Amino acid sequence: MAMTSLKRLGKGLVPVAVAGVVLAALPVPAGAQTPIKIGASMSVTGTYAKPGSYQKEGYDVCIDELNAKGGLLGRKVELVIYDDQSQPATAVKLYEKLITEDKVDAVMGPYSSAVSEAVANVTEKYKKVMVAPLAATTSIFKKGRKYIFMIITPAENYLDGLIDMAAKRGLKTVAIINEDTLFPKASAAGTAEAAKKHGMQVVLQEAYPKGNTDFSALLVKIKAANPDVVAAGTYFDDAVAITRQMKELNVNPKMFGLTVGGDIPEFYDLLKQNAEYVYGSTQWDESLPYPGQKEFLAAYKKKFKHEPSYHSAAGYAGCLLYAEAVKKAGSLDADKVREQLLKMESKTAFGDYKVEADGFQVAHKMVMLQWQDGKRVIVWPDDLSNGKPRYPTPEWGKR
Amino acid sequence: MGVLITPAMVGQVVISGLLAGSIYAMVALGLGLIFGVMRVLNVAHGPLMMLGAYTTFWLFQRFGLNPYLSILLSMPLLFLVGLALQRFLVRRVVDAPELSSLLLTFGVSIALVNVAQLAFTSDLRSVEYLTGSFLVGPFALSKPRLAACAFAIVITVASFVFLRATRLGKAIRAVSQSREVAQVCGIDVQRIHLLAFGLGSALAAAGGSLVAVMVAIQPEMGQVYTFKSFLVIVLGGAGNYPGALLGGLLLGLVEQLSSLFLTAQVNEAVAYVLLVLVLLIRPTGLLKGRV
Repeated sequence: MAMTSLKRLGKGLVPVAVAGVVLAALPVPAGAQTPIKIGASMSVTGTYAKPGSYQKEGYDVCIDELNAKGGLLGRKVELVIYDDQSQPATAVKLYEKLITEDKVDAVMGPYSSAVSEAVANVTEKYKKVMVAPLAATTSIFKKGRKYIFMIITPAENYLDGLIDMAAKRGLKTVAIINEDTLFPKASAAGTAEAAKKHGMQVVLQEAYPKGNTDFSALLVKIKAANPDVVAAGTYFDDAVAITRQMKELNVNPKMFGLTVGGDIPEFYDLLKQNAEYVYGSTQWDESLPYPGQKEFLAAYKKKFKHEPSYHSAAGYAGCLLYAEAVKKAGSLDADKVREQLLKMESKTAFGDYKVEADGFQVAHKMVMLQWQDGKRVIVWPDDLSNGKPRYPTPEWGKR
Repeated sequence: MGVLITPAMVGQVVISGLLAGSIYAMVALGLGLIFGVMRVLNVAHGPLMMLGAYTTFWLFQRFGLNPYLSILLSMPLLFLVGLALQRFLVRRVVDAPELSSLLLTFGVSIALVNVAQLAFTSDLRSVEYLTGSFLVGPFALSKPRLAACAFAIVITVASFVFLRATRLGKAIRAVSQSREVAQVCGIDVQRIHLLAFGLGSALAAAGGSLVAVMVAIQPEMGQVYTFKSFLVIVLGGAGNYPGALLGGLLLGLVEQLSSLFLTAQVNEAVAYVLLVLVLLIRPTGLLKGRV
């Protein structure tokens, strides 16, 4: 199988992909230098293989684009990628190798918070700037690290849109539930914060264990608390189960929103019409009118013959942002590039970019979508929306 | 921030607990049957249930077969799978130390889950057949859970009648009481072992088919039922078949009530504390002796 041969390649530390070498003989300036090598480890196999591959493809499109525009600082750009098999420990070794043996000029982040957290120790040690496009956990950026930069919106802000829409409609009460693990916990805490800030009352906040399949008792409590809004910090299985059981127990909030799971097509495939009216949040959507979006989509689909995911867009944008900082600094020197990344405010195909002094992302916005007639319609924020929310959610018996 | 718990809420949760418990009881009866007859704890019980769920899913997906009718196919199919497992694998460890059978069925369990991952992928599947509920006064009675409970009761009762009233059923009970005496009386013990494993697997399959309409289907869905079934048969009294029914309903109630009065995070802890208490006070389980 393809996966096993890839794994074998990865194990043998053979680069699984070296993209971005411009084959078309561009006129090479006199005294051409060696290409700039950008290294990264990626989850090409293992549990994160799917999102990891999307992210890698985003990097590939970015490198192609840079080279088509004449490279970086007049030099061609080359990507060196190894497979970390979705293992933080493997990734740590690979970044050591990239920096000390391969002597890459720059590095980009791997996939996931867990792997980014692990390799950040290596990149900090060697003072390498690392734009980490797929690390969403706040704590990674709050440990006094100097050279790591965040691209996506942190977990705490996933449901800001839901609360904002609810508050604007004069809703007063919210029930918050979440799986009891790192990411959903952080998003539930952030949602509670946001609700309080908007003067809403949190009438119930409760966690459930990972792998829970029966939500009856929890939903009975929610029904008794009768909140205007139900917000859930979920992954995917639980998002589906909660939605179904809300119908079974006839729980009827005016709005019902999910962090992860509500945004993917499979959510609708599994629930069919019962997914209607449900709000989901997402980092990015290809319908968003961001600058460079059309070009990115066209190049991506041409190269890979399938649709990108938000991981692809984040990878692509993260790589372009690094390149932009290098151009502005006029150098690959880590401290000079870092300075630029800290003060840059950019708009990319993935959305806005601006970080605080610790590299923590503050500008990128989540968008809220709602399932309407089987389609994902962006309903928040207003300036990015392509439809109006269907509000309020009718009772289950009247849908 | 807490919610005042009203009698209506308790009533709703008791209903949910009994509905869930009836399925636990049926699935655990299958595990109890195998354990009673052979003293083999079948760790692959949950994964066999998962195969039952996939049977229902594919029949529904490909041929639009009513998921409740598909029980008529998933049970015989898994009965055969059970026969094969017993004939080629489990038979070799029946008289070996208990650890051998645990290891063997643990291996089978991992193999089944991985084969399912390869064959069906890890994507979640669902059978969108019955959704929603009947509203009766202050209570919502979930349609798929009500249907599952009804089928579980029918299948469980049929199993009891089979064990009580038929010659084969009596032979199974005889073997679980004393293999030697049964053998002396002319009962073909090997055949009874085969039958017990087949029936146990079929009961797991029925559980899988019923659960398929309620929750998302994926290769790892079964393991949690293995543990619940262990709990149920120990609570009810290992080897005591009516005990499985009592244990199942009790587990369903305890899970739901502890989620209501405490939180969902502690319901497993509460269930296991109950297990420890039962073992301390009545080491043979709630109903002792074997039937």
